[in-house]
Amino acid sequence: MTVIARRLAGHLARGVVMILVVATISFFIVRSIPGDPVAANVQKLIEQGMAPEAAEQATRVLYGFQPKGTLWQQYVDYMGGLLTFDLGQSVTHAGAPVTDVLADAAKWTVLPVLAGTLLSFLVGIVMGVYAAIRRSGKLGDVLAISGSLLHGVPQYVLGLLLSAIFATLIPILPADGPVDILFEPGFNAGYIGSLVEHAVLPVATYALAAYGGWILAMKSSVVTVLGDDFILAAELRGMKRSIIFRYIARNAILPLFTILALSLGLLLGGAVFIERIFNYPGLGLLLIESITMRDYALMGGAFLLITMAIIVANIVADLFYSVIDPRVRSGEEVSA
Amino acid sequence: MSKQAPGVRIDGLTVVYKTTAGELPAVRDVSLTLEPGSITGIVGESGSGKSTLALSLLNAVQPPGRISAGSVEIDGLGDVVGLRGEQLRKARGKHIGYVFQAAQNSLNPLKTVGKQLLDLGRSHGVEDLRGLVREARELLGRMGLDGARVLDSHQHELSGGMRQRVGIMLALVLNAHVVVLDEPTTALDMITQANILKIVREVHAERGLTTLVITHDIGVVAEVADRLAVMYGGRLVEQGPTREVLGSPRHPYTKGLIRAIPRLVGDIDEAQALPGRPPTLATVPKQGCVFRERCALRMDVCDDVDPEAVLQGTRTVACHAVTVKEHA
Repeated sequence: MTVIARRLAGHLARGVVMILVVATISFFIVRSIPGDPVAANVQKLIEQGMAPEAAEQATRVLYGFQPKGTLWQQYVDYMGGLLTFDLGQSVTHAGAPVTDVLADAAKWTVLPVLAGTLLSFLVGIVMGVYAAIRRSGKLGDVLAISGSLLHGVPQYVLGLLLSAIFATLIPILPADGPVDILFEPGFNAGYIGSLVEHAVLPVATYALAAYGGWILAMKSSVVTVLGDDFILAAELRGMKRSIIFRYIARNAILPLFTILALSLGLLLGGAVFIERIFNYPGLGLLLIESITMRDYALMGGAFLLITMAIIVANIVADLFYSVIDPRVRSGEEVSA
Repeated sequence: MSKQAPGVRIDGLTVVYKTTAGELPAVRDVSLTLEPGSITGIVGESGSGKSTLALSLLNAVQPPGRISAGSVEIDGLGDVVGLRGEQLRKARGKHIGYVFQAAQNSLNPLKTVGKQLLDLGRSHGVEDLRGLVREARELLGRMGLDGARVLDSHQHELSGGMRQRVGIMLALVLNAHVVVLDEPTTALDMITQANILKIVREVHAERGLTTLVITHDIGVVAEVADRLAVMYGGRLVEQGPTREVLGSPRHPYTKGLIRAIPRLVGDIDEAQALPGRPPTLATVPKQGCVFRERCALRMDVCDDVDPEAVLQGTRTVACHAVTVKEHA
């Protein structure tokens, strides 16, 4: 246990450093993008016939935004704010704190992505085991081909296809946002039912898009383990089938946990197309919007959140690995 | 608890592998008796069929191979070739122990040796698991290891020699009395090799086992085996007491093998390599003697007629030339 605690401490320290580095990089990159939203707005107002002075004043009132100091000063303020989870204020969302805007959007990304990924992971690994065991039969072929096909279709094509079929051709499912506005938000059957109904297509899209990868990865992992000496050895020692099956499953699933953790981290930022297709106001859409609107604070915040998700996913994957794989665990013991 | 060492009679055993060129025999018409309480060594080059023969003892030939003819009778168990399903599974481990090559990873890398020992016990319906652990600890201690520590270790924490001793422990802990060791010392250093062979010999005697050792190393056989069987191209070409076979080999292949061993004293050039190469599954002759392509004593009859294994005193030799000489 102490080994894992020490490992965790090391990872957290490294994670914090990485996040600070990423925050710094994103701060400067975002600010080196040409164009100035405040200046752009002033320009627009002037073109509409407002006096320069008045236009500047109106813009500041509109955004609640006071650009002050040099780039360096801004950087110091930004990093200082980070420590208190203050990422500044969003220009496009009428001065709302970036953290609130992000949190609001995150729920529309995290839940569907999490549900879709876990669903595809569970179905994919079970099917992968069958595809491996029955690899010389028809069932194995069908499973492997289904995996290859789905793996080859881009996520957004799947999304469009599902939307076209189930929301337009046979309109049995909604594709018009995360929830029906008719319902009062809260813990009531109508609202939750509507949430679930609206989530079916995006979750199915995430699940189908990832399923192919899982089944193929699990199949090849199981086939590798099946060829390992210790499986034959267990058979020759007369071990029960159920025990041998557990040996195979546990060894084969090991490398997939890393991929799972990393893909959960990655999916946070990779949902742009799906969110657009199904009108989910999630992080992907928010990021695109912040870039087109040159909302520096929001852009930086979104980048930072996506990076943090990946870093956290890495840490979780590594810690989890040291729990399930004794070889990793004792490796740490030796070096400590 | 301790039973009489059982005898094993392999009779007319043929194992074929399915290939694109049809079913080809890897072991053909092999008959071999393991006397109760004896250590028999099988030597042969890679691809001679010795490992396939070893797996046949547990009816564990892996697809695309299958036993197509013959029987393996084990005292107290019957014909292993006829065993199926649960009967076969229970025979493995409990009646017949199999020890893997040391270089092979015969343990689940994610579980401690002790946990795998418990899995083994549960698989075979052992009720006294504490007793099983005690027995395992004693066996490991007998082989010079710290039993408690080894049971608490994962595979990657053990050296090659330790792993091999764990393999022997797992093969014996359920009180199996027929033990098959497949290349028990390959990939071990000389000192560890000698240690393992000593352990094999001692444990064999103490527990009253019938042991089969598969190896490509004649030195190993000379060290431990009472009887020696030489395999070539899936056939048993010569067998007999180890001393006699090594001292006065009769089959031209056995002679060639022994001539190829460099001596500690004398000229290194006295060792002569056997010309030619061993046959593969695809090139092994379908009829006639399998060794004729490399044989100095080749006769016309060798091309068409399988040499029968002829008993000559304590020795069995399958060679037309040797048989003709005897009868002349």
